[in-house]
Amino acid sequence: MQQELYIRILKYCLILLITAIFFFPLYWTLTMVFKSYHEWSTAHGAAIHWWPTHFNFDNITYLFQRQTQHSPLAATATRPLINSIIVSFTGTALAVVLGVLAAYGVSRYKVKKEFPIMLLTLRMFPPVAVLIPLMIMWAFLRFTDTWYGLTLVYGLVTLPFAVWLMLTFFDEIPNELTEAAIVDGCTNWQAFQKVILPLAKGGIASTALFCFILNWSDFAVALSLTTRNMKTVPVYLNMLQTAFEGEQYGPKAALGIIAVIVPVVFGIAIQKYLVRGLTFGAIKK
Amino acid sequence: MADITLDNLVKKFGRQTAVDHLNLSIKDKEFVAILGPSGCGKTTIMNMISGLLNPDSGQVRFDGKVMNKVPPGKRGVGFVFQNYAIFTYMSVYDNIAFGLKVNKIPPSTIDKEVKAVAELLQVDHLLEMNAGKLSVNDMQKVALGRSMVTKPQIFLLDEPLSNLDAALRSKMRAELKKIQQELGQTTIYVTHDQVEAMSLSGKIAVMNFAVLQQYDTPHNIYNHPVNMFVANFIGSPTINFVEATFQSGELILDDFQGFHFPLSSATANQIQTKLKSDKVVIGIRPEHVKVTNGKNGGNSDIKAEIVNYELLGARTVLYMHPSMNTENIIKSTMPSDFKAKNGNFASLTFEEQHLYVFDKESTELVWRTEATWHQSA
Repeated sequence: MQQELYIRILKYCLILLITAIFFFPLYWTLTMVFKSYHEWSTAHGAAIHWWPTHFNFDNITYLFQRQTQHSPLAATATRPLINSIIVSFTGTALAVVLGVLAAYGVSRYKVKKEFPIMLLTLRMFPPVAVLIPLMIMWAFLRFTDTWYGLTLVYGLVTLPFAVWLMLTFFDEIPNELTEAAIVDGCTNWQAFQKVILPLAKGGIASTALFCFILNWSDFAVALSLTTRNMKTVPVYLNMLQTAFEGEQYGPKAALGIIAVIVPVVFGIAIQKYLVRGLTFGAIKK
Repeated sequence: MADITLDNLVKKFGRQTAVDHLNLSIKDKEFVAILGPSGCGKTTIMNMISGLLNPDSGQVRFDGKVMNKVPPGKRGVGFVFQNYAIFTYMSVYDNIAFGLKVNKIPPSTIDKEVKAVAELLQVDHLLEMNAGKLSVNDMQKVALGRSMVTKPQIFLLDEPLSNLDAALRSKMRAELKKIQQELGQTTIYVTHDQVEAMSLSGKIAVMNFAVLQQYDTPHNIYNHPVNMFVANFIGSPTINFVEATFQSGELILDDFQGFHFPLSSATANQIQTKLKSDKVVIGIRPEHVKVTNGKNGGNSDIKAEIVNYELLGARTVLYMHPSMNTENIIKSTMPSDFKAKNGNFASLTFEEQHLYVFDKESTELVWRTEATWHQSA
């Protein structure tokens, strides 16, 4: 009995420790947002401040104030935020629409068994590998620094994932549902739209969230394909430094937290479908 | 009016032949069962009739009209799938109304039709319920209702009762038969359950390995199977097979130490004319094997040892080894007052009029008494 208790205590201590390690960066970022300059910078000595002593919003306002004495930034964070939202959502929409249609086709019609694996191998190499040729192509097409240029890349880069994920969902939906709808007078497209799509909602939601997170956190593609107007949040985040003050850790933390909010809100918005979507494959009838 | 003609239908999947030169003609209002073991091409036939699959060659005709190019939705068939294919995220009402809505029927008519069908199937109290929450029994009814509501001329049922438990199955069997008689559609019913096929249908098509074996009334299928496969597939417990040699008007039962079974001269002549070699297999239904307890009991020299028995209430099924031969098992159904004991010896008797004689090589039926033959209508 005694021994069991010890093991239990030890187990919970371990869980607590691991949780603390995982949550520490989030804790540090979050508290840093509300710290004043001399608390997050090392300019006034290297004292560690675990909690903001002078709770303030300076770091946030810094991001959105343009050309003041305290803000030597050329551009505020507003534009990159809007850019990120536009390209991430449109890129996701592109991947999901094409992915859903392609996956349904692969799932229902005779396609080589190896196809899904072949598809995934497309994503085995890092996007950076094709970045230079892509840059040249995009420059040639005048797609650099445009929202559609990024949308196109994001859509295509996440497409294999979207197809792969949707395939597992479609494979779970019995073909008889389509056949029943067709016998009742539906065309193939109507059967897909009226019978299959409503059933695949959960899958579409989780696929969309997954693609969105990939697009939202992309740095390399956006860095090389944008110059001025279409900078996204990760690229902008990297620029938050000045020659005079060095790395702007405080504002960076603030923007980091803001960047976390968007996917979280998106996730909560589709949560209703998400839970079912993620457990979809787990239950065998 | 809808009679169905299948003319030389062939369907292959890769190298596998699913349906091999199938000819079948089904009359209007007829209830036909397609019976066969799993994977013998039953569902493929249904899919070709409904239009979900195109045959590689051959024709599907309804009332003489070739349907090969007509899309499934325009063929006027209702299809009930084995797993029901219920649209689980819709209400029962929307499920039943689906076919009507797709065909753009005015809402007032839809409402009337859905309610009429729901009432017939006794699911009218469930109309507002989510179809995913239904019991299996009700799901089955909704699936039936969904294909009935469009008033198809042809009804295709693909193992509709296989997911139900035994008690429910016999109840639904009766209901199905009643509904079919009321609505009078031509119905094709796929099953691997011989009881369903025998009890429901006017005619049975027995399939094996993509080939139609026999297409006849349940009575003739049981009493005049064309070959050993059909004889073995229909009947429970299954028919007994005993290897024998046909010699000078007698059957020498190889499985029973060469016991001589005398035949009437008329029978012997009939067998003689049809037989190619002298090796035959005789079939005897378990209900025709009479058993007398004791080594010296009865007036027969065919001896067997009881190795197992099952008390089924109304009757007792005996499993016996012919003496000195443990490879073959002879089954017999006896009245329930029969005193069976494992290890006991018994004497077996059976009569000529109950024999099925098959050619051993071709497995085809060579002789069966004409008395049991019913000319099908």
